[in-house]
Amino acid sequence: MVSNVARSGWAALACLAAALSLAACSTSAANSSAGSKTASGPPLVIGVSMSLSGDFATLANPALKGYKLWASTVNAKGGLLGRKVSLKIVDDASNPTQVVTNYENLITADHVNLVFGPFSSLLTVPAATIAKRFGYAFIEPSGGAPQVFALHLHNLFLAQPAPIVSSGDAFANYILSLPTAQRPRTAAYPSADDPFTQAIVGEIRQRLQAAGIKTVYSTTYAAETVDLSPVVTRLVAAKPDLLVSGTGGADAVAEVKGMVQAHFTPKFVFFTGGPNDPTFPAQVGPANAEGIFSTGDWFPQAKTAGNAAFEKAYVAKYGGTAAKIDPAAAEAFACGQLLELVAHRYGKVDNATIISALHHGTWPTVEGNLSWNADGSPRGSDIVVQWVHGQLLPVYPSAQALTKPIAKPAWAG
Amino acid sequence: MTRPGPHSRIRPAGTIQAVAFVAVVAVLPLVTGQHWLVSLLVFTVMYAGLASAWNLLGGYAGYPALGHGAFFGVGAYAMAIGTSHLGVGGGYRPFVLIVPIAVGTALVVLPIARLLLRTRAAAFAVLSITLMFMVQTLAYNIRSLTGGSSGLIVPLAPFPAATFERPFYYAMAALLALTLAVCWVVRTSKLGLALNAVRDDEDRARGLGVQTELVKLVAFAVSAGLTAAFGAVWAYYISFLYPGFAIDPLLALGAILMAFLGGRRTLWGPVVGAALIGPAQQYFAYRFGASQLYLVAYAALFLLVIYLLPEGIVPSLARRLRRLRRASPAAATHDQVATDSIFSAGDLG
Amino acid sequence: MHLFVQATIVGILFGGVYALIASGQAIIFGVTRTVNFAQAIFTILCAYLSYTLFTDFGIDPFLSILVLVPAMFAFGIGIYVLLLRRLSRSGAELGLLVLYGLGIGIQGVLDFVYKTNTQVITPSYANNSWTVAGYQIPEVRFFAFLLAVAVLGTLQLIRQRTKLGRALRATTQNPVASRLLGVDVERISAIGMGLGVAAAGAAGGVFGMILPFNGNTQYDLLSKLLSIAVLGGLLSMPGTIVAAVILGVVESVVAATISPDWSAFSFLVVLFAVLIIRPQGLFGRRLRGAL
Repeated sequence: MVSNVARSGWAALACLAAALSLAACSTSAANSSAGSKTASGPPLVIGVSMSLSGDFATLANPALKGYKLWASTVNAKGGLLGRKVSLKIVDDASNPTQVVTNYENLITADHVNLVFGPFSSLLTVPAATIAKRFGYAFIEPSGGAPQVFALHLHNLFLAQPAPIVSSGDAFANYILSLPTAQRPRTAAYPSADDPFTQAIVGEIRQRLQAAGIKTVYSTTYAAETVDLSPVVTRLVAAKPDLLVSGTGGADAVAEVKGMVQAHFTPKFVFFTGGPNDPTFPAQVGPANAEGIFSTGDWFPQAKTAGNAAFEKAYVAKYGGTAAKIDPAAAEAFACGQLLELVAHRYGKVDNATIISALHHGTWPTVEGNLSWNADGSPRGSDIVVQWVHGQLLPVYPSAQALTKPIAKPAWAG
Repeated sequence: MTRPGPHSRIRPAGTIQAVAFVAVVAVLPLVTGQHWLVSLLVFTVMYAGLASAWNLLGGYAGYPALGHGAFFGVGAYAMAIGTSHLGVGGGYRPFVLIVPIAVGTALVVLPIARLLLRTRAAAFAVLSITLMFMVQTLAYNIRSLTGGSSGLIVPLAPFPAATFERPFYYAMAALLALTLAVCWVVRTSKLGLALNAVRDDEDRARGLGVQTELVKLVAFAVSAGLTAAFGAVWAYYISFLYPGFAIDPLLALGAILMAFLGGRRTLWGPVVGAALIGPAQQYFAYRFGASQLYLVAYAALFLLVIYLLPEGIVPSLARRLRRLRRASPAAATHDQVATDSIFSAGDLG
Repeated sequence: MHLFVQATIVGILFGGVYALIASGQAIIFGVTRTVNFAQAIFTILCAYLSYTLFTDFGIDPFLSILVLVPAMFAFGIGIYVLLLRRLSRSGAELGLLVLYGLGIGIQGVLDFVYKTNTQVITPSYANNSWTVAGYQIPEVRFFAFLLAVAVLGTLQLIRQRTKLGRALRATTQNPVASRLLGVDVERISAIGMGLGVAAAGAAGGVFGMILPFNGNTQYDLLSKLLSIAVLGGLLSMPGTIVAAVILGVVESVVAATISPDWSAFSFLVVLFAVLIIRPQGLFGRRLRGAL
């Protein structure tokens, strides 16, 4: 018996020794590949972790398209400072643990030159801390929640005109700009438990409550909650004039369907996410999208820097029309534009240069003229958009509006 | 396989093994400067510890526990809350929290363990995983404490980037050594014998005067406390917690798979299993990112192990070696081959 | 009050679907003494298959049941013959692990094929509902309930009125005695497994019409099925059905009156409370060592 136990112990040691030698081999292999990187004119590798699968997969897809479109556009122009841009995209399965692993490996195993951010605030928070640890600039397209800026990271920049909280401000401003007789008297605020949605809904609720609009229903549901019928039941029972719902996409569709089923139409309907997806009308039924509000950082007719070229290239590469472009694609594209601008102004695109450069001046992109505070929060503001006659159009503030807001018709259902 | 019992003592071979093991584990991260390899080692050592901790309850006591993800998550959240809300501070200080977290979890778990241990076999398996789902739901819902599905940030450790992983690695390694020491003590003490009796036939053991309730509770609490300790280190290392991943149903399954592969109820089996599966698991996650193929590979490996190697590597290897030795007339004394059923069969109906 | 009644209606209707899936699990436990940890993923698998049949071939989910039920019956028998039969001597918990592992493998395949995006089956009547005395009755849930009642009724007829049913019940109660009485226990166990998995097949399509799903939904469903199994006493068909409807109602009412976040948790609390008072479950016969 003694010998048996002894043997098994040695077996464990043998396994560890094997792991050890594996580690040693890999080290030498990695060193040699790192050595070749200093050769002249190597591609500029940008690492990105994207939600190719999992809960965010559908929402993240436009961002992926935006990144790829920028890479092909810049390569068609001869690359960045003469170096071909190559994207190294890995899947994080919408998983915040995997996203950590991915950026660690992009930086330390694959030795990418630069990184761009993943999709959603939830994934941006853990990813940004990894980039910070290794001194990488972290230009990111979609993490705009307060938690992201609460990290106080000097290396982070959101490629959008405004932090998410301000999206709420834009809509609250619109509602409060209405004459008292037209204002909603009651409001309901169901929201997914998600940094993005809660920031917007919380902001709107605070401001409207202060202005005397009564809250008749408010709840948060786990972002994974799949059965929204209890929420809709409560919502319908509360009969609010205004629905402000913190949604990510599928839940907005489910809420619309539930209200259609229950034959209940609020006077104003606002979703934080979902309506700005070009396929939204197809998902809820074309007539049902009419009059629904959301906010946006980008819309197809925007007169921002390089937007016309962006739309043209997008349609050429992916087909469809400019109206079918998701704002997330523009956000990701803007990340690339920022790199181009840094390269152009400073003649180099190492991480330290990018970080110090972006903290000064204004940077014109398809997302507008961007500038940031010390935490990477943009200094601009968002716009209110609405589905008007089958088109998602900016309606407020009037300076940027292409049309006036319309009254919500009753559901067609 | 060898039966634990008080007749085992510290043997020269065992001492050498222990020293060699500690030496190898201590030197490993110094061999490579590659972050991803050290990170891989951190996870492998962690899983070796988790599988060994699971072995106390799932192996020695024969209770099919599927909910250890709950204790891991409790440890992880305790660490996050301790560092961010209680103001323990940064640097090496959070590691001090490991002790109260482990002890606290073991104590808090006692009343729940008492309830769960009223059931056996399939019902215990179901309840243990249900407990895990409960804890996960709590983590989603008690937002003021856990951040809900917005996640919870653990303050980033201020260690230099070049050797960032090392403190975590050595913390995990120390916990693994502790877990193995606990397992060794259990195997060589009366507790081990009592657990053995519980696994073989609990009713008869009780009839013979074994304090079955007590020994089961001890095994459960110690197993849970150790698991929580690993969760605490993991939380500080990963620095961002999300309920669905900090409290993961696959964690227990991973530990079980490693214990099965190496050999349940052996001291070194879970370590061997983790040394084989851990790196593969991490490497797959790195290289193929997405979880799908990884899930399929995991399931396939699981079924292969159960059907082709039901006893695990260590017992099979030991038996083969014994057979070799039997040719030489030296030792053919103990031949208690562990062909007894997986967990304790026949408890039902 | 209106809210409460409305939530109860919705809960009872969906409780029927839970009952259907959980009954399959109870039948499987009866003949194999193995808790089917893959019952949830079988349901999701069938939801995906219905989804494909609907979107690519235009087959209504209620019609695709005619294909899925026999297919899943055969699948269940296959699992028994290939995986579970070999384990019968070495303990039921190993079977549980095997099925759990199998379920995770199936999830991996589904994630690979369907890309883990959340899907929902939306036939033209998906959004329709009737208004009865001021209460909304969603058509899909109503038909799903009717389906569950029909399938459960058929199962009950098979169990009570046929020779096969008698053999099933005998095997469930005492496999050894049944064997002595000339019952081919292996064959009956295989058929029982087939019937149990087929129940998931019948429920998959309606599940996919009512709730958005992806591979990961299996854990949510699994936790509910396991709770129902314990509460219902693992073996008892009436116990399972009652527990399932209770789950449906508790979940729906808590979600509507308190918060959707706590609905799953409230049921788990009920479960643990019952276990403290009645360790054998609501309807369970006390199994030696089991509960």
